[in-house]
Amino acid sequence: MKTLAEIWNNLANPKLIPRLFSLTLAIILLIGLFIPMNLNDNQLYVRPEIQEQINENNSLAPYDRGGIPLIEDAYVKAQYPNNSQNLGKITSYLTPLALLVKDNTIYFGTSICASPGGILDEILYYTRGFDTILESSILMMAFVIASWLGLNFTMRRED
Amino acid sequence: MDIAALSGEIFGFIPLGDIMLYITPFSLFMFAGALIFTFLIAISKTETQVEAEFGSLEDNRISIDLKEFKIRRFLAIICGLATSGAMITGDLFNFTLFVTLIGILNIGIVSAVKIIDVLDSAFQYGLIAMISSMPLFSGAALILGATGTLSILNLAQIQPNPMVYFGSALILIGLLGESGVAPFYATKAEMFRTPGSPFILIIHLSSLLIITRAIEILLIINTF
Repeated sequence: MKTLAEIWNNLANPKLIPRLFSLTLAIILLIGLFIPMNLNDNQLYVRPEIQEQINENNSLAPYDRGGIPLIEDAYVKAQYPNNSQNLGKITSYLTPLALLVKDNTIYFGTSICASPGGILDEILYYTRGFDTILESSILMMAFVIASWLGLNFTMRRED
Repeated sequence: MDIAALSGEIFGFIPLGDIMLYITPFSLFMFAGALIFTFLIAISKTETQVEAEFGSLEDNRISIDLKEFKIRRFLAIICGLATSGAMITGDLFNFTLFVTLIGILNIGIVSAVKIIDVLDSAFQYGLIAMISSMPLFSGAALILGATGTLSILNLAQIQPNPMVYFGSALILIGLLGESGVAPFYATKAEMFRTPGSPFILIIHLSSLLIITRAIEILLIINTF
């Protein structure tokens, strides 16, 4: 039987910390099973009904937001419409290559061609553009660290 | 809770599409503090640790070579900028992204040292940082699902429900892991035992400021 002091002492061992952390997280996630969860209908970033576009044989499914580039606005909502007044103008733009794929198969939306040049997601690049910048900088910093370590520790190792 | 009641009157907004940064006296103070500290470490040199040798009168000096100094300074500056960004952000998902960026940079700053104990604990911290990105992002996603918005200005006016409380609990546990607060402190405490002082301090400062700001955000969201 461990005394309380011994248990506290174990908290100073770095090896045990990830285990303690994942245990705490697991307990919280288990509690989450008993929390009533239902989606608020008033969503800012709307999605079509599940399988709706697929059943319509829409080749852009599930990303079809309608609209014609520069003529008719696509269906995209913004939290602060004043900050993004040109929203929806180019969401429906497809590159020639994307058009080719779209015309020949009905699986365009779920293929790799849909992202990122195929369907321009204006939520990703316009209203929430700052998030996209941060996401790619996280990736860039991870590569900076990994490549520095690779160059200096793995390849030019002296000691 | 009303933002003005907790962190003071809003001075102004920095609109970036849906991500509306807002400036209050509270956030402005921490933003300026993080920037000033970043400037100070950008112009400073590293310390040299001096250890007394046992059984002789010699000293053992542990200093850092130029290459290691440069990468650490770079990562520390980015970490300081990320910290100051997290101080004034007005969007929940944006905040969690800043926290994740700081977590990655904290590992990077200590990853270049050649002391095995420090590297071991940095590895353990890296494990926690990886695990905690899950509760951070899923917590933000749950709050988005429950309220339909991510902007803190709007979340302040929405009555929280159990789903919001659970999302906040997930964000809180993610932050505790990422910033290494109380029961998970051992890994980060071991990481500080490395030469190169001013750059190591940004690890400490960033987690301190992040947890302060996180408490503010969670209070705004969870009280009505």
